[in-house]
Amino acid sequence: MNTNLKISNVTKIYPGCVANDDVSLEFNSGKIYALLGENGAGKSTLVKILSGVVIPDEGKIYLNKNILELNSPSDAKKNDIGMVFQHFNLFETLSVFENLIIDSDEQRENLKEKIDTIMKKYNFSVDLDVPVLNLSAGQKQKVEIIRCLIRSPKVLIMDEPTSVLTEQETSELFLSLKKFSEEGILIIYITHKLKEVMQLCDEVAVMRRGKLVSVSQINNENIESLANKMVGQDLKTIKKKKENTSSEQLIKITNLNFTSEDPFETNLVDINFSLNRGECLGIAGISGNGQSELFQVLSGEIISNKNSIEFNKNFIGNLNPQERREYLMAFSPEDRLEQAAIPQMAIFENVALNNFKSSNFFNNGLINESKIKEHSKKIISEFNVNTNNIDLKSQFLSGGNLQKLIIGRELITSPDLLICFNPTWGLDVGAINYIHETLIKINEQNKSIILISTDTDELLKLSDKISVIHRGKLSKIMNAEDVTSEKLGILMGGGN
Amino acid sequence: MIKIVKRDQPSKAIFFFTPVLAIFLTLIAGGIIFYILGFKPFEALKFFFIVPIADKYGFSELLLKATPLCLIAIGLSFCFKSNNWNIGAEGQLTFGAIVSGGVALLFYDQEGFFILPIVILAGAIGGMIYASIPAILKTYFNTNEILVSLMLVYVSKLILDYLVVGPWSNPEGFNFPETRQFSDSARLPLLFEGLRIHAGIFLALAAVVISWFVFYKTYLGFQMKVSGFSLKTAKYAGYKGKKMIILVFLISGACAGLAGVGEITGPIGQLHREVSPDYGFTAIIVAFLGRLHPVGIIFASLVVAITYLGAETAQIFMQIPKYTGQVFQGMILFFLLASDYLLFFKFKLIGSKK
Repeated sequence: MNTNLKISNVTKIYPGCVANDDVSLEFNSGKIYALLGENGAGKSTLVKILSGVVIPDEGKIYLNKNILELNSPSDAKKNDIGMVFQHFNLFETLSVFENLIIDSDEQRENLKEKIDTIMKKYNFSVDLDVPVLNLSAGQKQKVEIIRCLIRSPKVLIMDEPTSVLTEQETSELFLSLKKFSEEGILIIYITHKLKEVMQLCDEVAVMRRGKLVSVSQINNENIESLANKMVGQDLKTIKKKKENTSSEQLIKITNLNFTSEDPFETNLVDINFSLNRGECLGIAGISGNGQSELFQVLSGEIISNKNSIEFNKNFIGNLNPQERREYLMAFSPEDRLEQAAIPQMAIFENVALNNFKSSNFFNNGLINESKIKEHSKKIISEFNVNTNNIDLKSQFLSGGNLQKLIIGRELITSPDLLICFNPTWGLDVGAINYIHETLIKINEQNKSIILISTDTDELLKLSDKISVIHRGKLSKIMNAEDVTSEKLGILMGGGN
Repeated sequence: MIKIVKRDQPSKAIFFFTPVLAIFLTLIAGGIIFYILGFKPFEALKFFFIVPIADKYGFSELLLKATPLCLIAIGLSFCFKSNNWNIGAEGQLTFGAIVSGGVALLFYDQEGFFILPIVILAGAIGGMIYASIPAILKTYFNTNEILVSLMLVYVSKLILDYLVVGPWSNPEGFNFPETRQFSDSARLPLLFEGLRIHAGIFLALAAVVISWFVFYKTYLGFQMKVSGFSLKTAKYAGYKGKKMIILVFLISGACAGLAGVGEITGPIGQLHREVSPDYGFTAIIVAFLGRLHPVGIIFASLVVAITYLGAETAQIFMQIPKYTGQVFQGMILFFLLASDYLLFFKFKLIGSKK
């Protein structure tokens, strides 16, 4: 039987951002659909609407011409929409079988039979009696898929399913998905990986900044054309004026590796680069490709081999962030509220987090509050933080003001190198401009910047050199003038 | 119509008001319970909360009970403020009592000014050793400190049981489960003739002052505060988060150990099976009732100490079990948690619309 799923004029607005802007799409069974877009393009919101997790502000969903009321995930299940999320929703300590039957009200024996048939039919081999924590990521995903299949879904949605899989597991997954599709299950595949779209899908819908950009047959597309649509051609080409970049090397990274024990983190493989004074190195990439790990390794939150980082002719790979600050490095992490600042503490206390030696914030182990406050006032006026009350808890600053405070805190020591990670994420245009101007200014003062960002516009605007990180590997470093959005898109999607 | 709305920011006044509200609600609920049991509510509450501390002796008893509660709660506040859920203070108290008691027993037939300081120090070290177990397991093996610290309580009580029945039992004690009496040099001096209140109260007061100073005035306290709010931030600022965790456990263990010393070298004077009527658990309530603030903890320890005394009076005069004390402690915590709702929400009167 043919299944038809129709999304009609769906809009979802979050405070400060339109996640889905009048999106209409139609899917028919027998085909595999790709939903492609950068981070924050609105794919996840759309998928959450389809699975009942998020309720749209406007618009309707139709399944086989019938309107669907999706007010909760269980409504989606009732309507035969199955969903496999990027992060698994499994009980680690329960066995595979227990996980499979946990949300079902059918008889155990019936289920057992059903599961056996499914496993045989699709050639899945998972031991039903072992606890889930002993499974590999690929096997866990199979458990999630089986859990959907038990309900014989009409629609199966896969959200970035390959991000935790090995190559082998990925190709196994693709085989299964193709088989499901042949059996009449409508498959919607969410991804930002261009190669996978080309390999697997029949039709592709591209989203950018909440809007649906295009819907097309895969035969009419190639990796370049998709990259262009995904990243957008409306790229501003304003680059900062290059004057006198020196050729004096400031930082050199040699054979830096990081292996994580957490399967959701990315391993860094053989990172090598160097940067001169007064330059800005932009590191592009789709989030989750090792940016966070790279930031932590550079900032010293993750300690590495002493010789892997040479900064200003000192080897500092084994130093922690506070020690690195003494060598005039500064850091602005991605997460303003959970890492760069503590919302529950006052502004001046947040300033004290950057405790460089000459600050005298703490003398003989005692807090020197007047010194910290004096310093805080200076940051607030120099960096245009819109408040005059430094006793205010920092949670009452807007995102833009908080970011100015953080950048100000880091820059007031006039560091030689600022490492920032998504510095303008979630900010309004005014604050973005201010941060960009500040970054350009410090470059002009012959200070260097490493800018890790998922915003390609920002990277093209600010960087002198650009590299792309993909699966923990850095591409070769390119001069920003030679880089096009198309090229970036391909590299970000894992192409060459 | 009354509507519940979320507050823009938790109110500071409410923050200190809810403990008072909780105590008030506890009194009302207590009155109702007494009424159901067939007592006159006001009279019963008077027996419970006023009679026990109406005279000099009663007041001394109040301070005697408040001392360990305050001391332990101060230690726990270090843990709780930094999001480390040490709920095994009772075990740390017991182990501190075992170690200091062991040292005191070494000197049972000797006198000398040096004995008491050694005994006190031994108690603090004992508590620290015991608290270091959940701390190290948490930092290096990712175990849950709630489970480990709680279960170690029962281990320490069984060790104490074994010692007082077996190897350490008083050879002239007719097989009673208790040790010899400590020598006078190992006893904390009494403050007043005829009253049981002893010098241990100074330990508690010192802990209050020191904890206030460390938390609000030192770099160490600042680091603990930051680590408590966010380990990620602590890492980013370059603080040693793991060391911080172990440190707060050690402080809290030392305080609980000292409370143990206070009990055995104060009113008890020997080791026996029950060195503490669950002070270590009750102190958790004290710490939260006092808002984890040193001054708040002083008041909270006095309020909760009354429930111990009140329960005894009620047992004598009203023939109801002394476990009523625990009922009151439970109610205080219950109402405190419930009224904390007001921290984040407020009631708003709005006119009805047609």
